[in-house]
Amino acid sequence: MRISLKVLLATCAMSAGLVMGAEADGKSLYSHRCGMCHQTIGMGVSILSRRPGDTSKGLLEERADLSAAVVQAVVRSGIGNMPRISRGEVSDPELSRIAGYLAKGKP
Amino acid sequence: MKQVLPPGMSAAQMDRALKAIARVVGDDWVLATDLDRDTYLDHFAVDEAAHAAAAAVAPLTAEQVVEVVKLANTHKLPLWPISRGKNFGYGGAAPRLKGSVVLDLSRMKKIEFDAANGVALVEPGVGFYDLYDYIQQNKLPYWTSVPGNSWGSVLGNALDRGVGYTTYGEHTAKLCGMEVVMPTGELLRTGMGAMKDSPTWNLYRYGFGPSWEQMFVQSNYGVVTKAGVWLMPAPEAMIGLDLEMENVDDLGWCVDIVAGMRRDGLLQQSPSIGSWLRGAAVLTSRKEWYDKPGALPDDVIAAIRKRFNIGWWSISLRLYGYASINEAAATLIQSQFARHTRQPMTITRWNQGTPLNPAPGQAAFAGVPITFPLANAAWHGGRGGHIGYSPVLPANGAAAMEQFRRTYDRYREFGMDYHGSFAMNERSITNVNQVLFNKDDKDMMGRVNGFFRALVKDASDKRYGEYRTHIDYMDLVASTYDFNNNSLRRANEAIKDALDPNGILAPGKSGIWPKRYRDQRA
Repeated sequence: MRISLKVLLATCAMSAGLVMGAEADGKSLYSHRCGMCHQTIGMGVSILSRRPGDTSKGLLEERADLSAAVVQAVVRSGIGNMPRISRGEVSDPELSRIAGYLAKGKP
Repeated sequence: MKQVLPPGMSAAQMDRALKAIARVVGDDWVLATDLDRDTYLDHFAVDEAAHAAAAAVAPLTAEQVVEVVKLANTHKLPLWPISRGKNFGYGGAAPRLKGSVVLDLSRMKKIEFDAANGVALVEPGVGFYDLYDYIQQNKLPYWTSVPGNSWGSVLGNALDRGVGYTTYGEHTAKLCGMEVVMPTGELLRTGMGAMKDSPTWNLYRYGFGPSWEQMFVQSNYGVVTKAGVWLMPAPEAMIGLDLEMENVDDLGWCVDIVAGMRRDGLLQQSPSIGSWLRGAAVLTSRKEWYDKPGALPDDVIAAIRKRFNIGWWSISLRLYGYASINEAAATLIQSQFARHTRQPMTITRWNQGTPLNPAPGQAAFAGVPITFPLANAAWHGGRGGHIGYSPVLPANGAAAMEQFRRTYDRYREFGMDYHGSFAMNERSITNVNQVLFNKDDKDMMGRVNGFFRALVKDASDKRYGEYRTHIDYMDLVASTYDFNNNSLRRANEAIKDALDPNGILAPGKSGIWPKRYRDQRA
């Protein structure tokens, strides 16, 4: 019983990882790769919500002023407290989908 | 960042080595553009360029790691393994030796879960969020233990002796059974894992004969590609006992009574007594309160504390397990605190079967990953940065007060804002001090190095050593471990030379230099 459960759960994890890497949409990728800082109580939310005049509550998904190009540049170059994110962590195709999601169609 | 190279290696040699590795990991996973090099810099460091990597390579499997390590030997290529590279305050993803190639294991994200025994067998790329999500999705009756920066790797954190908030918070102590690629490329398993297909690899630590697992912690003796991590069974109940303490001197008695609780086992987790800035730096920014250089005046500190209702010190104790035992322990703990303060403890209770929706500040105590404490680096504004200074003290109040006063004076002498905490271990204290800075403030940045070195010297004069340090200071801290003219370092390096004759694995990590690069010691 123990072994079969272990194998079952291992299979679940590996499948989830593969889907996230190869086919996930921008929203799912954003949640998985960026959500720890940019959703709920993350570091990015904490800092961005303190910006003067911020109406997004620090949430990037609530903003209408982000372009895909800006998102991609910030992710690779870092900004303020945000470290740079490598291609090892978020690949170029994944970043493209994330940027598209946050930019809501803007290039 | 333009191309950088390790000592003694030409651009052509580097190119040949990376091309050979690309045949193992694939062209897409050799990351060697100028922008790639930037992304592996330590964003929070004083001098990012001092630890620039030549490139990064990102294998997907242990078999690929074996082949990469063998090729590194062939090409005499120094590798710097990272799990997820989120070791902020201690170097992030950046190598100790400039020009090393980062061996980025963040793609290795497999989890195997032994639900009967509460053990996760994880690869280095598995982050705390990944493991937490996995447990939630599979409705497993276990809690993770997470650090204040849960963005990082479960395995990487344990391998650098990171800590969490629950009774399973001493993460390195919860490792059981490792798979390691040795510096020559040989794959081994520790403990019971040395027996092929052993069902007790991740259940019994020691195996037969010498037990080597701590050899791969904070070292450069192997690349850990998999390890068992024990997890806390979901408790029947949890009680929180939080206290804000008004006076600076409250640290002394608080340390003494909590040290007793840790020794006799009344308290099973390691609470941390933190100064007011630990709370304030994630809630507000300095410029909202004061616009002059130098350490904050006392009246400004008082105003900030009043606004956010923060004590000069605060402590959060947690009891986990059976409700009846928790209640009895909580009564004993409260009575001990009541002998020293009239300030009541804020008590929270959670019982299994009711929703677990902790407030943000309480999440980590319930094993929910967090990153918001990293916001403290924005305290000064500008490009935030920080390094950690963390000496280990005996667990007694007089020693803690003396350490605090001396360190506090140093912060003021160098015009920095004190950000200290005292984590109560079973027989010791880890005194974690954050040095927060603004990288856009040249004057401040000019003071950081002298300040840090003064702190290390002060601690060393008291014979206190750091448990962990930034890559800038690994040689400095290693030099303070000076019994018998640094005999431990000589032993470490003798082992290094025996295991890693080409000196390819993480040269300089923890002050351990292979023969090939020993002249690089700072």
